[in-house]
Amino acid sequence: MENRRITDHPILDFSEGEVIPFTFDGKPMEGRSGDTIASALHANGVKVLGYHFKTKRPRGFYCAIGNCSSCLMVVNGQSNVRTCTEPLLPGMKVETQIDRGVPDDV
Amino acid sequence: MMYETDLVVIGGGPAGLMAANTAAGAGASVLLLERDRHLGGQLIKQTHKFFGSEKQHASERGIDIAALLGDELKSLEDRVTVWTHATAVGLYDDGVITVDYDGTYRKVRPKRIVAATGASEKFLSFPNNDLPGIYGAGAVQTMMNVYGLRPGKRVLMIGAGNIGLIVSYQLLQAGVSVAAVVEGLPQIGGYAVHASKIRRAGVPILTSHTIVRADGKESVESAVIAEIGSDWKVVRGSEQTIPCDVICISVGLTPLTELLWQAGCEMRYIPALGGYVPARSDRLETTVPGIYVAGDAAGIEEASAAMVEGHLAGLEAALSLGCGGDGCEEERADCLKQLSSLRSGPTAEKIRAGLSCAHGCQTPKRRDEHA
Amino acid sequence: MLEKTGIATREQIEKLLPSPGRRAEGPYAVMECFQKIPCNPCSTSCAFHAILPMDDINDIPSVTPDKCTGCGACAAVCPGLAIFIIDESKGGGTGTVTLPYEFRPLPGIGETVKAVNRAGEVVGDAVVTRVLPGKKTKTPLVTIEVPLSLVHEVRFIRCEAHQEEDPSVADTLREIPAPPQTADIGEQDDEVVICRCEGVTLREIRDLIREGYTTVDEIKRISRAGMGPCQARTCGPLIAAEIARMTGEPLGSVAPSAHRAPVKPLPIEFFLGGDTE
Repeated sequence: MENRRITDHPILDFSEGEVIPFTFDGKPMEGRSGDTIASALHANGVKVLGYHFKTKRPRGFYCAIGNCSSCLMVVNGQSNVRTCTEPLLPGMKVETQIDRGVPDDV
Repeated sequence: MMYETDLVVIGGGPAGLMAANTAAGAGASVLLLERDRHLGGQLIKQTHKFFGSEKQHASERGIDIAALLGDELKSLEDRVTVWTHATAVGLYDDGVITVDYDGTYRKVRPKRIVAATGASEKFLSFPNNDLPGIYGAGAVQTMMNVYGLRPGKRVLMIGAGNIGLIVSYQLLQAGVSVAAVVEGLPQIGGYAVHASKIRRAGVPILTSHTIVRADGKESVESAVIAEIGSDWKVVRGSEQTIPCDVICISVGLTPLTELLWQAGCEMRYIPALGGYVPARSDRLETTVPGIYVAGDAAGIEEASAAMVEGHLAGLEAALSLGCGGDGCEEERADCLKQLSSLRSGPTAEKIRAGLSCAHGCQTPKRRDEHA
Repeated sequence: MLEKTGIATREQIEKLLPSPGRRAEGPYAVMECFQKIPCNPCSTSCAFHAILPMDDINDIPSVTPDKCTGCGACAAVCPGLAIFIIDESKGGGTGTVTLPYEFRPLPGIGETVKAVNRAGEVVGDAVVTRVLPGKKTKTPLVTIEVPLSLVHEVRFIRCEAHQEEDPSVADTLREIPAPPQTADIGEQDDEVVICRCEGVTLREIRDLIREGYTTVDEIKRISRAGMGPCQARTCGPLIAAEIARMTGEPLGSVAPSAHRAPVKPLPIEFFLGGDTE
């Protein structure tokens, strides 16, 4: 798989962060401290975060700063989480969202 | 419980930080609201050196300016309260702001407000424009410069304004190849020096070109671009397919003004400033007394101008509360002078025309007459 | 030329050069800054006052060649990376070019690199003779030796390691398959998504405008475009533009949708907690 993490940058210093384990649709993956859910998925080569409930077209993030809501996913059973700004936490269960979302206690 | 304070600054980017620092420095109590988990706004992903003069931190990189302004804020912490991960979700007639503060519902009643809410990226309509791998230019910057991730292997950049040119350069610095920069206008919109630095690194800049469509199954695999004629229509037969896994959209920003609409500020549609902006006095007070605006929310400009506007808005808000002391008149005059000098060149012609439409409103007398 | 391609013309460059006598004497700065932009760090950074102070911050920098020592202080601070130090005084048919290079890896002294011109084309080889890492400015200055005939051409370098990652773009463009016939966008508008949140396509928006719904709010209520979690931040301007295009009204007279609190969707639970007053 292509390595998307930048290790040597002329201006910025990206130190190796702590490893944060999580799962994406049941598959174990690793992020780094400082990651959001979407950035960790991106580092793992995941581009499709969901399928639109109406058009069924694949969705990825667009703005990455919490404006556009193109990155909504199901996290630990809760729908409609803005994954581009939500920090990644150890053990998170991240899933592709394919509908408008359901209440998490149903 | 209602949180009471002299001034609420909405937004912790270049304009908001300057407004908070200035007002607190003049003696006002300030609450700074920032949607993100950290301060700095879009400065934190600006790895290039800023233009302007020393007063606007020219030749320093945006990311370092964010740290600098943040440190200044810390030195004023007895007068400034900072709520991060706090979104102002409503602004009401009675001046109350409702806030989502880290998931908790809070209400704030300030005596003055500086709206420094920034901007959002414009989107573009073309077939398959929603494919994963099509990102806003700001998103690409965030991925690279905040999270240390390459957005892909080969990027097609749409838009040769300063942001498109700068992000192309930053992509090259991150080791990502840039297939081309595509620009609809017949000339490059951004500064020539930005264009030259990516051109010599091998990136073609195709003016009078547009994206016709994106293609790919689950994500971007290629794009079709074509030349456009003076009638703005695609020149038949000029289409070419560009293999790429990322398409970066950099076709401009539009001011984020929802809260100002809600507050009942008079809004004017000024294309030169990016869309609807509040009418205001040259001292940045809107038509709703006590509500000031600064930075991209007032009209899309460079971050150097945003910082000076923040400074001025923070100063005006503090002065109207009776804060401040000797030297405030000079400080105000200096801000106005800096702004007019930043905006005096030929590259700012559009901004000047836009501002002449936005300025010149009469702010009615405020109810409290505190000053 | 410059404003269309980013490449300065030979005439523009020649106007910047000092007299032949001065050029033979030692290194000098060439400021490839042709546009009036608000920026002055070069003039304030020069310890020798070789760059005239700017009355107007938009002034184009003006160098006094007799005062310039070619020290490179201005090249390290220029936000546009537009200043180069040229030395034609070394003799032996070669000269040096000092250029800002904010890329990794940095070349080592003695390394042979590709010499690249303003258009991004490789024009020969160059040997690196000096590298100032730019610890403070983070703008390293790399000096390369090139044939005298190239000192006014070469403005970039390509290191071996960098070259592998970044194949010549010109080559890739040549590989492009035959262009497809572009269908009119009208036939493809099912594939153009205007509202990403609610999945509303350009076709749906156009159909509604044709039916006579010509305000953003009407279209929003019928199609749900703009009612999703982003609250029209992404699609609002596109819908207004399409209304203006189809009705011939100026964009400024197409009313945007009404703005009401909250600016983003929040769970009912949220309003039940926190401040109750």
